[in-house]
Amino acid sequence: MKVIISRFNPETDSEPHFETYEVSVSEGARVLNVLDAVHDTIDASLGYRHCCRGGQCGSCAVRVNGEPALACMQEAKDGDIIEPLSLPRIRDLIVDIAPAIAQMAWLNADSCFECSHVTADDIEEIKPLRECIECFSCISSCPAVGASTYAGPTAIRQQQRLNLDPRDKADRVEEAVAKGLFSCTTCHKCVEVCPKSIETPRKAVEKLRALAVKRGLSLPAHKSLASLIESTGRSVERKEPTFLERVSDVIEPEGEVRATVGFFVGCMFNGRVVQPALDAMEVLRRNGIRVIIPKTQVCCGSPLIRTGFTGFIPELQERNIKAFVDAGVDTVLTMCAGCGSTLKNDYNTPFRVADITEFLAEIGFEEPAKVEGSYTYHDPCHLLRGQHISEQPRVLLKSVAEKFVDMSPRCCGAGGGVKSGQPEEAALIGAVRAEMVKETGADYIVTVCPFCEFHLHQVTGLTVKNIASLMLEGYRKKDC
Amino acid sequence: MGFENRSDFHVLVIGSGGAGIRAAVEAEKYGSVVLISKTITGKGGCTVMAEGGYNAVLSDNDAVSVHFEDTIKGGAYLNDEALAETLASEAPARIRDLFNWGAVFDLSPENTIAQRPFGGQRFPRTCYAGDHTGHEMVMTLLERLRGSNVEIRDETTALELLKDGDKVIGAVTVDRNGELGVITADAVILATGGAGQLYNVTTNSTAGTGDGYALGFRAGAKLIDMEQVQFHPTGAVYPADSRGRLITEAVRGEGGILKNALGERFMEKYDPARMELSTRDVVARAIATEILEGRGTPSGGVYLDVTHLSAEQIETRLPVMLHQFLQFGVDIRTQPMEVAPTAHHFMGGLEITKDAETTIPHLFAAGEVTGGVHGANRLGGNALADTQVFGRRAGISAGKCKSFVKEIDTSALDAVEAKISRLYDGDAAIPSVRRNLKSLMWNNVGIYRNELDLKVADREIGKMQKMPLKISSAHEIADAFITENMLTVASLVVSGALLRRESRGAHTRTDIKQKWTADNSPFGHTWFAGKKAGIDIVEANL
Repeated sequence: MKVIISRFNPETDSEPHFETYEVSVSEGARVLNVLDAVHDTIDASLGYRHCCRGGQCGSCAVRVNGEPALACMQEAKDGDIIEPLSLPRIRDLIVDIAPAIAQMAWLNADSCFECSHVTADDIEEIKPLRECIECFSCISSCPAVGASTYAGPTAIRQQQRLNLDPRDKADRVEEAVAKGLFSCTTCHKCVEVCPKSIETPRKAVEKLRALAVKRGLSLPAHKSLASLIESTGRSVERKEPTFLERVSDVIEPEGEVRATVGFFVGCMFNGRVVQPALDAMEVLRRNGIRVIIPKTQVCCGSPLIRTGFTGFIPELQERNIKAFVDAGVDTVLTMCAGCGSTLKNDYNTPFRVADITEFLAEIGFEEPAKVEGSYTYHDPCHLLRGQHISEQPRVLLKSVAEKFVDMSPRCCGAGGGVKSGQPEEAALIGAVRAEMVKETGADYIVTVCPFCEFHLHQVTGLTVKNIASLMLEGYRKKDC
Repeated sequence: MGFENRSDFHVLVIGSGGAGIRAAVEAEKYGSVVLISKTITGKGGCTVMAEGGYNAVLSDNDAVSVHFEDTIKGGAYLNDEALAETLASEAPARIRDLFNWGAVFDLSPENTIAQRPFGGQRFPRTCYAGDHTGHEMVMTLLERLRGSNVEIRDETTALELLKDGDKVIGAVTVDRNGELGVITADAVILATGGAGQLYNVTTNSTAGTGDGYALGFRAGAKLIDMEQVQFHPTGAVYPADSRGRLITEAVRGEGGILKNALGERFMEKYDPARMELSTRDVVARAIATEILEGRGTPSGGVYLDVTHLSAEQIETRLPVMLHQFLQFGVDIRTQPMEVAPTAHHFMGGLEITKDAETTIPHLFAAGEVTGGVHGANRLGGNALADTQVFGRRAGISAGKCKSFVKEIDTSALDAVEAKISRLYDGDAAIPSVRRNLKSLMWNNVGIYRNELDLKVADREIGKMQKMPLKISSAHEIADAFITENMLTVASLVVSGALLRRESRGAHTRTDIKQKWTADNSPFGHTWFAGKKAGIDIVEANL
């Protein structure tokens, strides 16, 4: 088996370099077994950590083909590229985790056992936040770390673990704010790379933000957004006729009716960038889909949930669910990744929620004509990790783009209230993404999230197109 | 080279598993403490990997005397009774310490610490946090440690203990960059764990190389019962490189059933009363026998089956097992696991008093590095309790040592430097020496032993000890010393196995017919001190 390992010895090397090794390992060998083989048979100076070899100590986290993984659990594949975590490097695959450990709070115990009153329910609530093995894969891959003073996902996880514990006597909410609670973009990259799949954004960040809001520790921008939603039901001020004002209640398709769906427009497409939503209606019509648009729908609540203003959420949920239940639809389409993720994960809907790309790829769509130019696709985090949708938008895009250049996913910095609350951080995260876009050489970026769309345009200067708008371009070209 | 890097503390703790951290946080009450660990603190010991649980008498229906009796009986009456008594009586207070410090143990619906049955015990007294009890303990202890004034030195390996006269006064160390150092202290605590890594099939972390046995032995401390190596009945068999990975006893505690390739529930033949929850020595021999006699699976194991349990029980009580097996392509909710014995725990080690004093002044020890607590076979759930009970006691005893003026014997430092120089001129590759040692130990000093195999092993280890190990950078110094430690410990295990001419607990001699049972054996501890070794005779049973 061939592997490529990033090597670096600060005593002799001015910068890291890759070395290729050929080793023989048993069937089912893990990355750690490959590292052992290199160390034992080729170069005993290879520096790497390992200990329990069973995924429980967190010593051996490295990046395999760019993504963090525990070397002892990840199956080795021919050609794997093995690099250290993106943390301060000591030597070869060994990184300095001391700064990360220094951010981990400890329990400030009540000395009296009897009066601690820990219940089985407390334990059950803490457990999902307690499995951390301190491998620091999350800190290595968090886009907010490095773009802000954010202490990182597991540090916030630990804050909430302590906050939930009746034995702990310290104030963990204020501490969390000081550790950068409002820096998280809720991109969920930390969940994806966590060997224990700990849901830090939902179970720690958003919960602590809700408590911070109650203490008046929220960011000013978030507060004004929350009052706007509470007073208008929308997160965007009305400046021109909205989407809902401009369309009829039912949009009949051309030709045969292949499906009937409800359409949830979301605040951005309703009030700020209306055209892509109108384009999407055309695309759906063209593909035989009848669209029912209840006018009583309101903001999904995503900006409130992400920033901790949860008080108004039950009302929004009730109004939205009622709107679509009354419309009698069994499927509701979204075209905003954030709305879709919220309806799927933070609601308990009696109907199916599907992203427009998910639905079109599923029922099939008319092939558009190819549109000139080279296009890359930006995965919105709330579509990729919030809804596990990555293939379908690419299928649509490949059908219409003259040239498609793929790009690996990374948060653009727009989510989680970061763009409104901490714009400098959003700009820094965006700058990293802009570099990645530049490397593709693409003329246009296509995405499925109005927040990403807006932000990417700002940081790259490129035209960012909605997938539906581009499809429509293709159809129009076909008709010419 | 050189020893510019010198520091002095009241107490030096070597090892960062459950016992080491517990000792450090206790010793800190008496003065300055440094905790060194050859790994990242908390990640190295076997505590963090321990899955099943912690034995403690917490119920009115249970009794310390019953826990003591179970421990002694399980230990084939080779235990040091004072130590076993201390273990049983203090385990409850120590788990309450952990709970006070924030441990997230499972609770019963009545909000008391939940307990489950484990092998060889007459009461379900094993407390747990799912099947990652040790991890939970280490996280709790780490929080406690981080909140203390203990100085933590990660990836710093003790090469030799330093002495002033008969007293231990510190250690020579090497850090991850290959820099040598000297730490002096009024008291030193060894909490370095066991030596499962002497075997090529083991549950132990790669840190389980028995350094503390060798450090203590070279410093002149007495060790006992080194032949008593527990083979855990249930280690993984697939994939090849993960062979030996622990499948927790909790699987059987929760109701898991063992079957051979013919589908027979074979424990009926070996221990019909206790079945799968017999003691580990019995279950390990039963599985080994099934495999040796041709009733094993094609990959050399037997089946451990929980498919009759509800998916929910498996998901909540055995989440680590479920997750690990899924990563290797087996869904234990619907498919049986394949298991075989694996080297797990060293019952032998440094002889200690119940105050964790070794036989040399100012040297203390706690946890798996010690001998006597568990006799000839350790009960599941007693090791985690051991770390806490004796970790605390070692911390107190070390903390109470009076400060004194220490004179470093420079010849000891010179000897370390000279040894390192020789390593650069060596020619034996460390990985191949280790590999050969591990398969030799597995083949010749495993579950079933006989004089011929042991003598061959003794000779081979002697040859390996004469090989000049080779290093090419300072980063490899620790590895070389550790490899020598492994060879030293291996020779003690073989020596004990030859001395103990009986089958007792985990030690089985197929070449010896004996008329006695464990409770009336004429033999006591095997022991090793400097160049001397022997076996105690129990006059009353002669």
